[in-house]
Amino acid sequence: MIRSPLTLALLSLALAACSPADPQQGVSSALANGVLLPAYGSWSEANSQLASSGRAFCADQQTLSEARQAFLTAQSAWASLQPLLIGPLAEGNRAWQVQFWPDKKNLVARQVEALLKNKPKLTPADLDKSSVVVQGLTAYEYLMYDSAIDLGNAEQKARYCPLLVAIGQHQQALAADVLDRWQAEDGMAAQLHGFPNERYAEPAEAVAELLRTQVNAIDGLKKKLGTPLGRQSKGQPQPYQAEAWRSKASLANLAAGLASAERIWRGAEQDGVQALLSADQSPLQQRIDAAYSDTRQRLAALQRPLGELLADPAGRSELNALYDSLNALHRLHETELAKALGIQMGFNSHDGD
Amino acid sequence: MIRMPLASAGLLAIAISLAGCGEDKAPGSHAPAAVASTPVAAANHFDEVAAGAVVSHYADLALAVFSDAASTGKALQTAIDALLANPTDATLQAARDAWLAARVPYMQSEVFRFGNAVVDDWEGQLNAWPLDEGLIDYVAADYQSALGNPGATANIIANTQIQVGEDMLDVTTITPQLLASLNELGGSEANVATGYHAIEFMLWGQDLNGSNPGAGERPATDFVVGEGATGGSNERRRAFIKAASDLLVSDLDEMVEQWQAGVADNYRASLLAESAESGLRKMLFGMGSLSLGELAGERMKVALEANSTEDEQDCFSDNTHNSHFYDGKGIRNVYLGEYLKSDGTTLTGPSLSALVAKIDVQADSTLKADLATTEAKLQALVDSASNGQHFDQLIAADNTAGQQIVRDAIGTLVKQTASIEQVAGKLGLDDLNPDTADHSF
Repeated sequence: MIRSPLTLALLSLALAACSPADPQQGVSSALANGVLLPAYGSWSEANSQLASSGRAFCADQQTLSEARQAFLTAQSAWASLQPLLIGPLAEGNRAWQVQFWPDKKNLVARQVEALLKNKPKLTPADLDKSSVVVQGLTAYEYLMYDSAIDLGNAEQKARYCPLLVAIGQHQQALAADVLDRWQAEDGMAAQLHGFPNERYAEPAEAVAELLRTQVNAIDGLKKKLGTPLGRQSKGQPQPYQAEAWRSKASLANLAAGLASAERIWRGAEQDGVQALLSADQSPLQQRIDAAYSDTRQRLAALQRPLGELLADPAGRSELNALYDSLNALHRLHETELAKALGIQMGFNSHDGD
Repeated sequence: MIRMPLASAGLLAIAISLAGCGEDKAPGSHAPAAVASTPVAAANHFDEVAAGAVVSHYADLALAVFSDAASTGKALQTAIDALLANPTDATLQAARDAWLAARVPYMQSEVFRFGNAVVDDWEGQLNAWPLDEGLIDYVAADYQSALGNPGATANIIANTQIQVGEDMLDVTTITPQLLASLNELGGSEANVATGYHAIEFMLWGQDLNGSNPGAGERPATDFVVGEGATGGSNERRRAFIKAASDLLVSDLDEMVEQWQAGVADNYRASLLAESAESGLRKMLFGMGSLSLGELAGERMKVALEANSTEDEQDCFSDNTHNSHFYDGKGIRNVYLGEYLKSDGTTLTGPSLSALVAKIDVQADSTLKADLATTEAKLQALVDSASNGQHFDQLIAADNTAGQQIVRDAIGTLVKQTASIEQVAGKLGLDDLNPDTADHSF
């Protein structure tokens, strides 16, 4: 909080000085309003729906199919946020509370079963004190889809419902809190509009972080595809190492993430990162446009779920072509776009895997 | 993004500056994200000759570290031979001590892994983890393996033939070559039959204590043949640990050769034939990748947030605190151009730190201070273990104070990563990724 009137006066002077014509500020502000805030709003809404769906399903007022649909919507909204994970949700362990992936050793099954064994009458407060592995969508997906669980069986439903309801409630509260932090008076959105602020000294820092987040997310999409394809394990497919393999939503999640990455590039009204390139950089702009288009079309052309595509050579060949396309897209951002904008990409959490 | 909260070290830049709205900056000439406002320069800022000397000394450091890893590896092999000659509590303890000593230089070598494909391609056979130990030997009934791993319970020691998926493999004769061929069996990276962690499992056995005190408790009698033998298939268990230690030694020797001076076609020769800029990039990439993605992320944050002892580095021996400490030490070594060798002498020479200081004293002292702080925070993990609380206890869901020790270490690693990025910017290296067409780190 800034309390000193003098500081405020200086701040507003500074703001006025750079607000009208700074293109970096224009992009930061436009992305906050046109892309990031709407996405966080949708995610929060999807989590409210998830919480009420869980309660309704457990009160026998909703079918399993309806409950699964609410889960898929929430999971897709989360996947959309990957290239937008800047600010509150990227801090502390909030993102971990939403999803635990990769889950190499099936921790979700082990921890869910151990939790319910210790706390058969689990309360939301118990869940808040538990491992992130059981707090989010990964555990919800396990309950909804795992072959070892039959929620059509009344006894099993009674066993798992306290956790289902608690996760819904936890996710709803988490999303509402994050959205508040975006919308607050001096919150995240405000920090992408007016400079300097506690987070960014100048618009260029905000743009740099938006770009780094987006590029790291594209790198993450490569990992989400490359891991089940076995690109780090002698080419042997690893279907169970995929994200969302239980709900068969791996490729849908990938598409949602890619679409958000593209929105950072384009902006809601052609006012995204691309607007920072000058006229003589238009060849680069066209190559990036073409790269998005290529990746998007390859993804849209896949007619079968990831697990099926991994099972035959033709499917794997399509997936490898998609990987190469994603890789080309990633490299264009990481090297050429970053260089054109004078932004150092730095290290990210995928380095060294 | 996966496991995002660590991702952007740039978040640390929160300094307020009322000046500098970028009044006269054209688009495309802006500051890097990591630290306030350092314009990224198009050209390198360092002295080529001095930089060449720094990279050459970096190769000397690598040689010294890998040489120590090889000599302590041989000491481990000798101790294992003594254990097999006369399996007692004392010889088992001596072998365990030799394993712990061998980890000290090896962990300091990890900073060379990222950036140098020759090390990264080689290390899987030495340090792959976490492993599905049921591939190797008997395990407890509640053992959990990687989903879909067809070799998770193959038990090489108890069987001369193992079924992996649709394939039946003959493992009658246990040799180093056989163990190497079984790595990533069936494509699962949890199938690890070689390296430090396979040997660790042989010496300690499963740690069945979860987040409670205690490490693995394999009895020496698991290596006895005849009267008093436990575990079963002991001849094969003896053959396994022997083969695994022989392979470890030959692998380490191979890496020493790659860093020897005066060899025309080894890795050192090709590294020094590259531009100094390329060498500096590899050094910085190794430091940053190990700091953030690997040590802070995969090795600490995952285990911490998931309260998962399965994601602990040295899970059988409860030596994780030391492994983390020496990983961090290795990062600091590379920056300072220093290494405390196993023989007690210290190797010094032209350092990256001095090169940076010539360009920007402040950036150099910031990174040096961060590296020192990280070392102190990692020392806190070691001290905690000395006081009876090991890493697997610190990450327990209800251990708030313990978790904070781990969180503090992660926080300083994240901070030092931002300082590494800053230093790279000062040197004029904005693209830090040394990936090549045929290798992705």
